[in-house]
Amino acid sequence: MNSPDWNSPAAAKRLARRHAAERRFKLIGLGAILLSLAFLALLLFIMMHSGLGGLSWGFLSGSDSTDPHVAGIWSATKGSILTMLVTLVLSFPMGVLAAIYLEEFAPRSRWIEWVEVSINNLAAVPSIIFGLLGLAVFLNTMDLPRSSPLVGGLTLALMTMPVIVISGRNAIKAVPPSIRDAALAVGASKVQAVFHHVLPLALPGIMTGTIIGMARALGETAPLLMIGMRAFIVTPPGGVTDPSSVLPMQIFLWSDEIDKAFVQNTSAAIIVLLAFLLAMNGLAIYLRNKFEVRW
Amino acid sequence: MTETKLTARNVDVFYGPKKAIDNVSIDIDNGIVTAFIGPSGCGKSTFLRSLNRMNDTIAGARVTGEILLDGEDIYAPTMDPVALRARVGMVFQKPNPFPKSIYENIAYGPRIHGLAGNKADLDVIIEQSLTKAGLWDEVKDRLMDAGTALSGGQQQRLCIARAIAVSPEVILMDEPCSALDPIATAKIEELIDELKENYAIVIVTHSMQQAARVSQRTAFFHLGNLVEYGETSEIFTNPREEKTKDYITGRYG
Repeated sequence: MNSPDWNSPAAAKRLARRHAAERRFKLIGLGAILLSLAFLALLLFIMMHSGLGGLSWGFLSGSDSTDPHVAGIWSATKGSILTMLVTLVLSFPMGVLAAIYLEEFAPRSRWIEWVEVSINNLAAVPSIIFGLLGLAVFLNTMDLPRSSPLVGGLTLALMTMPVIVISGRNAIKAVPPSIRDAALAVGASKVQAVFHHVLPLALPGIMTGTIIGMARALGETAPLLMIGMRAFIVTPPGGVTDPSSVLPMQIFLWSDEIDKAFVQNTSAAIIVLLAFLLAMNGLAIYLRNKFEVRW
Repeated sequence: MTETKLTARNVDVFYGPKKAIDNVSIDIDNGIVTAFIGPSGCGKSTFLRSLNRMNDTIAGARVTGEILLDGEDIYAPTMDPVALRARVGMVFQKPNPFPKSIYENIAYGPRIHGLAGNKADLDVIIEQSLTKAGLWDEVKDRLMDAGTALSGGQQQRLCIARAIAVSPEVILMDEPCSALDPIATAKIEELIDELKENYAIVIVTHSMQQAARVSQRTAFFHLGNLVEYGETSEIFTNPREEKTKDYITGRYG
């Protein structure tokens, strides 16, 4: 075999071409990032520009009104909080238990494979379909109170659960099998091995997935339209069975108003929603770092 | 004075349709170290894991034949694998301490089995286990440090201490030194030699020198069969089977 002649003009040309390709790729990659960042900056700028003036204590603590200067966001915020609580209380335990069962206990069988495929599909179902399901089951069949955080939370829990199952399974799968072996070998039962050793190690990952699923549910509007959470609510809900609105729905309703003054309200409400989402994502990162065990 | 602790009769182990162990019968005695040797994939680890039913955790694994612990069938429906594994402890190839403190690593077993009535009893178990595992002097001042922060050899001794803490009768070791350097290996081998007074010890090893150094009996496995079983000195100096001779002289494996 001949060793290549690195000093020949042909070799120098090839090298130059490869370096040029490398520079091109870096430029394109950088461009892609800058473009998406630019849109985020634009969005933030527009919202801040038209919305910041509307943020005041009165806006944050007030309720919806036909007068844009009196209208506030608190009733929708409280509705969102109550709805999220219902969603969390239902979907977290159910999702985590389902993930544990599928990952640790379920025998490998056709039936289980079918369940797994169904859960993955469920996570991809368009949210409006969940709204229809909520309408049919919770309102028409079970006769639960219309427009309430209870029904909203139930519907969003159906949507969030598959996300928690999927992230939970991945987190559980990431725990090294040697930890299970170690527990079983000293005579722990399967349930003890899972709950004493596997679950604590998987929890940061499960919590991250849960919060991301919850953040998605928080921004969801379509399914809640179907169950009547688009009503004009002037008093904050007292409990989970009172009629209520939620933040994204309030944005949707205000954006539809004819009165120009509602534009500022819409932007201000978007700022509140974004702050909410940022806080939840921040919490996810904090929890992951705090509870992550390195081994 | 030796007595038979574990008896296997006509044991087959299957992974799905594949037969990994074929008709193995063997007696394992108390108070000595029994080594399982053989080339990779010969089934020695599989057979070891069937002795405390760790194979139960592998989907599709199936054991037929009879394995008796003190005359009691460990695969009988009346045998609880959880209780069995407390009596037949196991140390793994890669040290696998829990990502918890040294103290918690050892306390876990006694706690779930209710072996200690109070904190003082538990402290005694922990000191005894660590002392027997030759680790007490090195860690007594930092019991609350992470077990995973110890060196590889110390971690493996911690795992041995964890196994000892539930007072097992048999200790199974699956290539316990393969991830360790020669000095740590020497310490573990020394420890195995001391521990054999009180336990029946079975060790799977890839190193024939190790088998020769630590064991009194050696079983040679090949392709799922038990080819030869006897006194370690006999196996290494005067093997009966041609295959054994080929393996220990390094002709294959």
